[in-house]
Amino acid sequence: MMPNEALRFPNGTTIAIAAILVTMPWILPSLTLACEIVVVSTGALSCTLLLGSVGLLSFGQGLYFGLGAYVCATLIRDFGMTALPATITAVVAGGLLAAIAGLLIVRRQGVYFVMLTLAFAQMGFFLALAFPKLTGGENGFGNVPRTTVAFGQLPLSHPIVLYALLALLCFVAFALVQRIIASPFGTVLNSIRQNESRSEALGYDVRRFKLAAVTIAGGLAALAGAMNTLMLSFVPLSAVDVETSERLLIAALIGGVGSPLGALVGASVLSAMSDFLSPIWPRWSTIVAVLLIVTVLFLRDGLLGLGRLLGGAVRSER
Amino acid sequence: MSAQVLLFGALNGIGIGMIYFILSVGLTMIFGLMQFVNFAHGAFYMVSAYAAFAIAQWTGSVLPAFLISPLLAAAFALVSERVLLQRTYSLPHEAQILITFALAILAQESVTMIFGTSGKNVPVPDLFSGVVVLGGFVYPSYRLFVVAVAAAVAVLMWIAIERTRFGAMVRAAAENAEMVGLLGFDSRKVFMAAFAFGGGLAGLAGALAAPLRGVEPLMGREALAIAFVVVILGGLGSFSGALLAALLIGITQSLMSMIWPGGAHLMIYGVMTLILAFRPTGLMGRS
Repeated sequence: MMPNEALRFPNGTTIAIAAILVTMPWILPSLTLACEIVVVSTGALSCTLLLGSVGLLSFGQGLYFGLGAYVCATLIRDFGMTALPATITAVVAGGLLAAIAGLLIVRRQGVYFVMLTLAFAQMGFFLALAFPKLTGGENGFGNVPRTTVAFGQLPLSHPIVLYALLALLCFVAFALVQRIIASPFGTVLNSIRQNESRSEALGYDVRRFKLAAVTIAGGLAALAGAMNTLMLSFVPLSAVDVETSERLLIAALIGGVGSPLGALVGASVLSAMSDFLSPIWPRWSTIVAVLLIVTVLFLRDGLLGLGRLLGGAVRSER
Repeated sequence: MSAQVLLFGALNGIGIGMIYFILSVGLTMIFGLMQFVNFAHGAFYMVSAYAAFAIAQWTGSVLPAFLISPLLAAAFALVSERVLLQRTYSLPHEAQILITFALAILAQESVTMIFGTSGKNVPVPDLFSGVVVLGGFVYPSYRLFVVAVAAAVAVLMWIAIERTRFGAMVRAAAENAEMVGLLGFDSRKVFMAAFAFGGGLAGLAGALAAPLRGVEPLMGREALAIAFVVVILGGLGSFSGALLAALLIGITQSLMSMIWPGGAHLMIYGVMTLILAFRPTGLMGRS
């Protein structure tokens, strides 16, 4: 990767992300697909941040995604909030939960960390199932009204307004992650990924840095969850299940965790596949699994890396 | 709640806990032996449970499945190790996790293709369909059978680990895998044996659990999470830790399902969180 490029913000990637977000509604067959891609990329971004910068593999971002989705839905339906304040509260709630769970998780390293993220995600699922009065249980959390962006202005019932809000939130998330990677804090995270014990020897409190990264990633996943609620006006129980965690992680991996742009690429590929393939072949996850194996064994930087590789090959042929 | 109901719940819990133990012990052994985290472990459990379902359909009884299903799961584990997993031994943990995770998805999708998405019931074998009466205390005989089989397996495993050459190697490798290799043992064969053994045990757990809980494609995922809780609390590579943790969460789940059925599974993770809050390195206390 190009470290110097990644350490600048805003950079070419920022422009590419903005360009993709603006053009998507015109290129894609449906605005729904564009909305879906934007939501999944924001969630995948939380995995990209954890794995790409700190080297933490999380199988549990669905926990925060689900929390964000439920908090946003509750605030809009039962407290009459508008979209923006509800979303911001959801992000704060996600970050808080991630900080609390993170306190227990970052005490364990390596594979224990991964197993704990999965166990806590599973716990979130059973929590949602055990309190149907709050979450709607298996029937999901329904009747979330289409509110406005804020102060009763800009109704989300208008598809373009909805997409614009989601795309804007997504862009803010990407810009934030890029800013973090480019910051001194991001440099420390990167050094933890490369050599944890050496970073510790240099005097960095590794656990605190990990906790901070886990908290931010929790907030990002909750943001995606809140966006999902705005998109669907509904929270299915599946928003908080382990499969959601897995989808976000797979999107990040397939796209490549070396750059935030990978989250957008991976989410686009995954959502497009889901959109086109699931009506034809319900077992299309088989292809995703094969793609995942190929990515891990042969394409360390995901599809984004493959694109760069091919781009480089084309350039050198000229 | 009367003492009898409590006893009933505790006995059920021991049965569930024993199944959890058999399920988790392969995961903990494979990790102890080769520092390999197997996210496909739940898939071995699920595939075997489905095999038990199919066998019960064909033969009319699930009994032969208790022998055949674990062997099938062992074969599946062995083939996956040879074809795919051995390629990842030199890769970082993250790569191993993701490859085995992908393998689990493949297994889940294949099973869904064959058997469909809906859950299926597996009848309790006729031999154990009755109840056992112990001085005014009535208990389903199948559950008693599960506890007996699991206890026998646990004892056999203890003998295999503590008293045999293979066991000595497993224990030695868990302490220092490199040294065992230097002593001239073919690590390739040890790894293959460990995968087959661990997969077979997960398979046995799946076959035993099938008549109790039925089969459905997502059961592998659930089992994997449970096995993780067991090794998080018991410590990776620790047999006694796995037994203790498995019994603890089995009994928790069983007692909770009488008090608050909706929260029975939740409490497994609640107990895990509570223990971790006070003992960050789990029950056995080693990091």
